[in-house]
Amino acid sequence: MAATDDVADLAPDERAALEALLFRMADDEFVLAERYTEWQVRAPTLESDLALANIAQDELGHARLWYDALQGLGYSEPELVWERNPADFRHSILVELPFTGGDWADPIVRSYLYDEAEHLRLQALEDAPVRALADPIGKVQREEEYHREHAQSWLERLCDDAEGREAVEAAVGRLFGPALTLFVPGEHEATVERMGLRSESLADQREQWLDVVVPFLGSLGVEVPFGPEEDVDDLLPERVGRDGNHTDDWPALHEELTRTYRELGRSDARRLRGERRE
Amino acid sequence: MDLATVESRAEPRAFSPKHDLPEEYRTGATRMLQFHANSEIMGAYLEKPFIRQSPSLDRKLAFSAKVQDEIGHGQLLYRAAEALGVKTREQMLDELANGEGKFLNCFHYEMTDWWETPMIAFFVDGAAMKRQATLKNSSWEPYAHAMDKICFEEGFHIKHGEDVLRELATGSKREQKLLQEAFEEWWPRILQFFGPTDDQSTHHDFMAKVGLKTASNDELRQAFLNSYVPKAEKYGLEIPDEPRIHYDEDAGGYVLEEDDLDWEEFFAITKNDYEPGLNQIDTRAAAQEAVEWVRTSLDASDSPAAAAAGGD
Repeated sequence: MAATDDVADLAPDERAALEALLFRMADDEFVLAERYTEWQVRAPTLESDLALANIAQDELGHARLWYDALQGLGYSEPELVWERNPADFRHSILVELPFTGGDWADPIVRSYLYDEAEHLRLQALEDAPVRALADPIGKVQREEEYHREHAQSWLERLCDDAEGREAVEAAVGRLFGPALTLFVPGEHEATVERMGLRSESLADQREQWLDVVVPFLGSLGVEVPFGPEEDVDDLLPERVGRDGNHTDDWPALHEELTRTYRELGRSDARRLRGERRE
Repeated sequence: MDLATVESRAEPRAFSPKHDLPEEYRTGATRMLQFHANSEIMGAYLEKPFIRQSPSLDRKLAFSAKVQDEIGHGQLLYRAAEALGVKTREQMLDELANGEGKFLNCFHYEMTDWWETPMIAFFVDGAAMKRQATLKNSSWEPYAHAMDKICFEEGFHIKHGEDVLRELATGSKREQKLLQEAFEEWWPRILQFFGPTDDQSTHHDFMAKVGLKTASNDELRQAFLNSYVPKAEKYGLEIPDEPRIHYDEDAGGYVLEEDDLDWEEFFAITKNDYEPGLNQIDTRAAAQEAVEWVRTSLDASDSPAAAAAGGD
């Protein structure tokens, strides 16, 4: 497919595939950021509080960037976030799982597993033949680089001591399966492949990811719940998120984060003013 | 340096860690900075739920950044306090957790709804700005220096707060009504931000003489009323009948009947004896306790990676 900066050139199925790809990225970043902000004013030190807040805002900024791209395709912010049915969100379940109070190893492990995958995902999109997809990659990739360093240095630091390593191992045990859902294809996968939007398939990205995270965690003395003889697909949780089938934590979170929007009756006000709705 | 020398040399930014300062000065400056730093942290606690409750992506980003800024201000101010050599940051954070640490009256109240947010983000931050601008002239140089950055960032917070206020004030009838109700609830607390009149203020004289305070409570309250009563009215907010306030032509400003305010509640708050505030303190203490294991783990492993993970 030749490079295009005009999505009007796309056939309907191609456009749907592009949208699906943007929704996956936007929703991942949005929900992850939403969860990270739970650690604001709760992190172990003032410095770690500031650092995680930075990362949350980066992810939220990226979400906005991808949602902006979707707005370029005709959606409004209320349609994309505030009034969208939670079952229409396409993020991986890794990002929606709640944190347990005080379990600082969880956001660190989650960030590590996510950001290594995100790095590969972005790399595979760098040369995508659609500008809405390829243009923002450089900026996002630079920020994600810092997130990976942050997660790695925290993992090293925590694993320096027995209690910390135990907490990391428990988080890895809990989050490894959910992290695999990052690579689960969505409804339009065949079209995405045919259009050549990605230079590496999701299956290849998952292989590369396993080749990075398993040895790194191993080097820290953290046991990964996945051996060389096993089929990694067996570790996939029942609900993966990518098909809209989420854990119960997601609709609850969506309900909570849209509370003010609903209380203010913003959607009714817009309807009365005759603004565009789906 | 003895106290008389300190008083004679108490110019803006006159003293830094290289000076040998008397204990009275160091204790007074520590008390003030600790109060200020604690207030930044407790303010962040109050506003944090509104990151999640923001009704748009832009607001969510702004609220997350604001809460982060407040934590950053706390960090700067604790550092300026530590430089006085009286208390370590750990001591001050522990005191905040165990209920000894004091902080601003307004942050002892609960904030549950979005339409309350401009009460802090516009009015309280606006009041804080009046005080903070004068602290750029503090005789303790690290304090004045911290205020340069803090005032710069607070300027953005107030703009953001004013934007939320404007949006609600020009919104639906219901939004306007909820905003007015929030204003009526918060207005007396905001007026108490500057504390009691100067002749009732215990520490004022000393702090003024050594250049740690460069404006009195009365002057600051006056400056706040003169600029914020018109701002409230501009957004259609009605100033409540009580506490009574009237414009005095001769004085060229608004005059507040201070006796109309609930000083009993105020003084309970200043002693950390007010129930909602105690809740905030305890919630924060529990959250800090839950991550104590990480701090212990960090102390145990002082690796080079530790510095990088701090993200400082």
